[in-house]
Amino acid sequence: MTDTQGDVYEVFHQQSRGDPHIYVGSVHAPDPEMALLMAKEQYARRQACVNLWVVPASAILATEYADEDIFDRATDKSYRESWGYKTPKTVRATEDGESTNDED
Amino acid sequence: MVAANENTVGLSQAEYDHKLGVFEARINRGEKIEPADWMPDDYRNQLIRLIHVHANSEICGALPEGKWIPHAPTFKRKLALLAKVQDEVGHAQLLYRAAETLGPSREQMLEDLISGKSKFSNVFHYPAETWADVATIAWLIDGAAIVNQVMMAEGSYGPYARALKRICYEEAFHLKHGYEMCVVLATGTKVQRAMLQDAMNRWWEPIMMFHGPSDKVSKHTSLLVRWRIKLKTNDEQRQQFLRQFVPKMIDLGIEVPDKSLRLDKKTETWMYDDPDWSVFKKVVNNGGPVSGERVEARRLAHEDGRWVREALEAAAKNRPIPMPPASIR
Amino acid sequence: MTKIETCQALSGVTKEGVIDLLYRMADDELMIGHRNSEWTGHAPILEEDIAFSSMAQDEIGHAQAYFQMLHELGEADADTLAFGRKPREYRCAALVSLQKDDWAFTIVRQFLYDASEQVRLTALANCNFKPLAQLATKLRSEEKYHMMHGRVWMLRLGKSTDESHALMQAALDKAYPYALGLFEPTEHCQPLSQAGICPPEDDLKSQWESAVAPVLADAGLTIPESCKPVYGGRVGKHPPELTQLLDGLQLVYNIDPAAKW
Repeated sequence: MTDTQGDVYEVFHQQSRGDPHIYVGSVHAPDPEMALLMAKEQYARRQACVNLWVVPASAILATEYADEDIFDRATDKSYRESWGYKTPKTVRATEDGESTNDED
Repeated sequence: MVAANENTVGLSQAEYDHKLGVFEARINRGEKIEPADWMPDDYRNQLIRLIHVHANSEICGALPEGKWIPHAPTFKRKLALLAKVQDEVGHAQLLYRAAETLGPSREQMLEDLISGKSKFSNVFHYPAETWADVATIAWLIDGAAIVNQVMMAEGSYGPYARALKRICYEEAFHLKHGYEMCVVLATGTKVQRAMLQDAMNRWWEPIMMFHGPSDKVSKHTSLLVRWRIKLKTNDEQRQQFLRQFVPKMIDLGIEVPDKSLRLDKKTETWMYDDPDWSVFKKVVNNGGPVSGERVEARRLAHEDGRWVREALEAAAKNRPIPMPPASIR
Repeated sequence: MTKIETCQALSGVTKEGVIDLLYRMADDELMIGHRNSEWTGHAPILEEDIAFSSMAQDEIGHAQAYFQMLHELGEADADTLAFGRKPREYRCAALVSLQKDDWAFTIVRQFLYDASEQVRLTALANCNFKPLAQLATKLRSEEKYHMMHGRVWMLRLGKSTDESHALMQAALDKAYPYALGLFEPTEHCQPLSQAGICPPEDDLKSQWESAVAPVLADAGLTIPESCKPVYGGRVGKHPPELTQLLDGLQLVYNIDPAAKW
């Protein structure tokens, strides 16, 4: 049995200008141009679309699920987030350098 | 691609038990399994079998309805039927791809369908004899399939669940298109009403078998439920289908062609005499009325298209890869 | 030349001409869409099955739009026109009613046909009959994908293996005389061009030839020499394939043309 199904291309779909391209699925195709042609009807025949990408599946390098823990945060990383900070609603500086405030 | 067995060969019992524990704990937490994860061979093989049969059923399901595209009697029906059959081919494409993530190639799966090595749903082994069959298939068989697919979309295997989400979204129109056709026939001329009843009479038994053998005889169900491949048993799905559709059939003045069918008001359960499951077994093993015709149609499409696919492959070797569009350069 | 703003403003030979033109275009679209839909579920590649089915839907949808305009011009409703006429009352060219044959013929026919539609719609998009100009402008966007599709397929199959080249050349030899028949002039063509609605068929044919020749050359295919156009379709003389097609098309409709389906 010879395999005649072509290569696998991953398809990314942009719904409107300004949106990110989102991964929607794959197509089998013999070359990139045909992959685009095929992706248009398989993945954009209903939903609005302004732009499509196709990428050979073989070009994608991915992390291993077994290494999922590399994404864990072992220590408190709340300093990266806006909610990691407490700031007063109002601040009034006093003469001796002390400030009075209402906690947020 | 992880080949089947590779993950479980050479493991000691303790190692296997440990991996199985992690795997089952993930499923019990409601997390999805992804292609590269460790999984027991049984899980992989059951999924391959299930998704492969599902994909085959979509592509073979395109045939009975596809035959009626040339005969659709109005623009609306012709366009809708064409779009519906197109969706079925599209769903086969999505499902073969989901199955590929578990090992087998699409070429292999298509070959297995043609050689009779792999199965497809019992209902597509029957002929669509009249236009009313198209209405019946679109309403009741798609209705039965949606009961199954909505459940499976919550299953534990990521790629299958993703494909099913898209499929369920697309199929919403199939059901409405089918129901609309049945309403028009049921409220139409005497000839149309008779056509619809005749179609229902022929399709009822296959539809009652659609969700598979009853729980008493089904050999796969318990393992599939434990690993959240399936979330409901065959009988539970059948019951859900009956609850949803039988009252509507009665409203349309359709005589449900099963004398044993009655509602137990206390438990809100439809009671019926179990179908003859030996018939089901024979049919899905390509012993149905048009099994040979279906497989032959797929063989012809595959073989007649071979020169096309080979020519495209040869052409791809000789062509420079085109520049990507300016937007991603 | 003054623009004709509405269907009601059409009259005399111009109106007759527009009706004739719309029947020709509607019937062409309906029949080629019908033939193409026969591939749904049977195409050589799953992905192409989907793409080609969309194109069939586009064509049938275009036919419906033309029939709706005919209805506004006083003809019967779209379904009656599409499903309820006798064979000799259809105005399609023979090209579109031929059997679907193999994939090479399908691709070649579709490419030649789409190029003709592209040429005609481009002319109509600027025509003096405003409702038709607007419709043509709208339909052209779908034609663009059809042209991309046709070109990609022609270039690959024409030049790939010996087998594919031979099949494509044979398909072109068969289809080309029929494709020329798309430009069969009718008695209405002169009033149409005088009213600034549709250029003479000969002009459209020349534009079409200039459009298809470079692609055929790039695909390594040779246009058959001195072929005689197959005429007759525009005046209701059809090959037996059309009768066969209509038997299928009208099968359910004819059970009861007065019924709702």
